Amino acid sequence: MKYKVMIIIAVVILLTGIAGSALVLNMPHQSLVQIKQDGKVVRTVDLAAAQDEVFTMRGHGGSNTIEISDGKIRVKEADCPDHTCVKMGWLSSSALPIVCLPHRLEIAYAESDGGADAVAQ
Amino acid sequence: MKAKRLAELAVLCAVSLVIFIVELQIPNPFPIPGVKLGLANIVTVYAVYHYKPYEVALLVAVRVMLASVFSGNMMALIYSAAGSFLCLLGMLLLRRVINEKHLWLSSVFGAVLHNTGQMAAAVLVLQTVQVIAYYPFLLVSGCLAGAFTGLAAQFLTARLKAIGH
Repeated sequence: MKYKVMIIIAVVILLTGIAGSALVLNMPHQSLVQIKQDGKVVRTVDLAAAQDEVFTMRGHGGSNTIEISDGKIRVKEADCPDHTCVKMGWLSSSALPIVCLPHRLEIAYAESDGGADAVAQ
Repeated sequence: MKAKRLAELAVLCAVSLVIFIVELQIPNPFPIPGVKLGLANIVTVYAVYHYKPYEVALLVAVRVMLASVFSGNMMALIYSAAGSFLCLLGMLLLRRVINEKHLWLSSVFGAVLHNTGQMAAAVLVLQTVQVIAYYPFLLVSGCLAGAFTGLAAQFLTARLKAIGH
């Protein structure tokens, strides 16, 4: 009995995860992207209007080379140990940011409220 | 602590580090930070059910520290330490509720707690809430990886009993 309840809890966690993942992947996204380091916005890029560009961000003992091309953004190269940020490829989903945990770097679509303000400015 | 006990813990720690390093060589098909099989936790799960809480804590602390040194990813220490701490705390409590026959279940909860700790650390370190978008993916991977490592630990327990441990 006790174990049945626990198995049900585990299954609920799993299903919540699956539902949440589907939700995150299906969120609509806009064109304004923020590049953050240590929680501070270092740069804001409007992908719809941005020129193709390659630039390097430094900090926390390493660097990430970021590429903007055809209205998409990705981490092209990095000298972090795991390269997860590079393997994530182009930023695609609104809610799923590209992060480089070792270098505390984050590339994410701006939240809708903040995004509208930034455009107005 | 008796010398024999200490030696056993050292062997377990060495085994889990070897597993950890072997796993590092396997390319991860999921490029999501925090998602991995975590085979080294087979040893942790086993230890939780066979050693005293402070002994397991010692084992995990040494393992997490050395794993960061060996993988050259010192920044990852914050995330893995936070995850391991929460996982350890949870599993030591779960041990009182879940018996060894249901080790895999305990391991599932442990893995989910590990991912929760990592997530919390990531939110604090990156100072952004947007990374929470990863949490659902981590929950799914935690459940699956936890069940897998838990089952492996269950088989390990059966084998070790057969040779008299």
